[in-house]
Amino acid sequence: MAYDKNMKILIVDDFSTMRRIIKNLLRDLGFTNTQEADDGATALPMLQVGNFDFLITDWNMPGMQGIDLLKAVRADANLASLPVLMVTAEAKREQIVEAAQSGVNGYIVKPFTAQTLEEKINKIFERVG
Amino acid sequence: MLSKAKELVGLLESGQQDAANQLLDQMRTERDVNLFSEIGKLTRQLHEALATFQLDNRITSFAAHDIPDARERLKYVIAMTEQAANRTMDGLEKVTPLVSQLTVQASDFHKKMDKLMRREMQPGEFRALCTDLLAHFDNTEKQLTDIQHNLSDVILAQDYQDLTGQVIRRVITLVQDVEGSLVELIKMFGNMTELTESKAAVIQPKTGVEGPVVDKTRQDVVHGQDDVDALLSSLGF
Repeated sequence: MAYDKNMKILIVDDFSTMRRIIKNLLRDLGFTNTQEADDGATALPMLQVGNFDFLITDWNMPGMQGIDLLKAVRADANLASLPVLMVTAEAKREQIVEAAQSGVNGYIVKPFTAQTLEEKINKIFERVG
Repeated sequence: MLSKAKELVGLLESGQQDAANQLLDQMRTERDVNLFSEIGKLTRQLHEALATFQLDNRITSFAAHDIPDARERLKYVIAMTEQAANRTMDGLEKVTPLVSQLTVQASDFHKKMDKLMRREMQPGEFRALCTDLLAHFDNTEKQLTDIQHNLSDVILAQDYQDLTGQVIRRVITLVQDVEGSLVELIKMFGNMTELTESKAAVIQPKTGVEGPVVDKTRQDVVHGQDDVDALLSSLGF
């Protein structure tokens, strides 16, 4: 699936403003097929039935955290190959290593720029596609 | 005491009045010294009790009012910043399509004017261009007023910085006051050496999520996207 601008993207962040920012940036990049969830617990059932092509998730959220969502996705046979981009303020080296070992496809540390988001998405779909 | 009393009786019996008086004075002074030292101790205890009582009052007030109040103030900061971010994005989301529309129109008219200058335009086309241009100016004036209006709203939305700044400054003062009280408590009931040692000790890396890292000197965290990329590429990403 190489870079379909119509791909269905789920944005998971507990702050609605951050979801809105990511949604706007994605729209500027041509991705308009987006949905939102405010934590992992809400996101996981959406992913399981929603036929999503790409997951962008925060780490630190009440309820189910992003890292646990990532692990749940990788553990689910139907979702295991879903590309996951983490966009988070969590900056400890051990956390980034943990995310990498849990199978994250990209890691963006907040605050970030539109260019970084574009770059990481391109990189993920170059590799996946 | 008893030996001194016996000595006194002895002195009196043997008629040594001066020596007896001297001994008596000595005994009285000793008693006074003890009494003074006891009163001193009591005074110090009373003073400490009063100080503790004051500290108790302050801590009670922190717990009862100041900290819940700070919590409410910080919630206000979240609400204000969220509102400001949304208001800013609202304004800009209204402006963006207007600007794109103006860009398209400008380039469209540019092409038509080029055609006119190259004398390739038919009279009918020219009349249509004039009508379009007039309508365009009408619309543009409205659109630009709209844009201006939205942009000033975006500017106004930044007033959160002043309001939340004031709130946060108050909370910082409270945190300092609580710190002061804790130090006094430790002085009174605890161990100041431990406090000094603890201040000097290297902070153990925290586990779990902690949000944005403020300390720019920390070695266990990345400082920016370049660090993330370097770390991931060292892991074979």
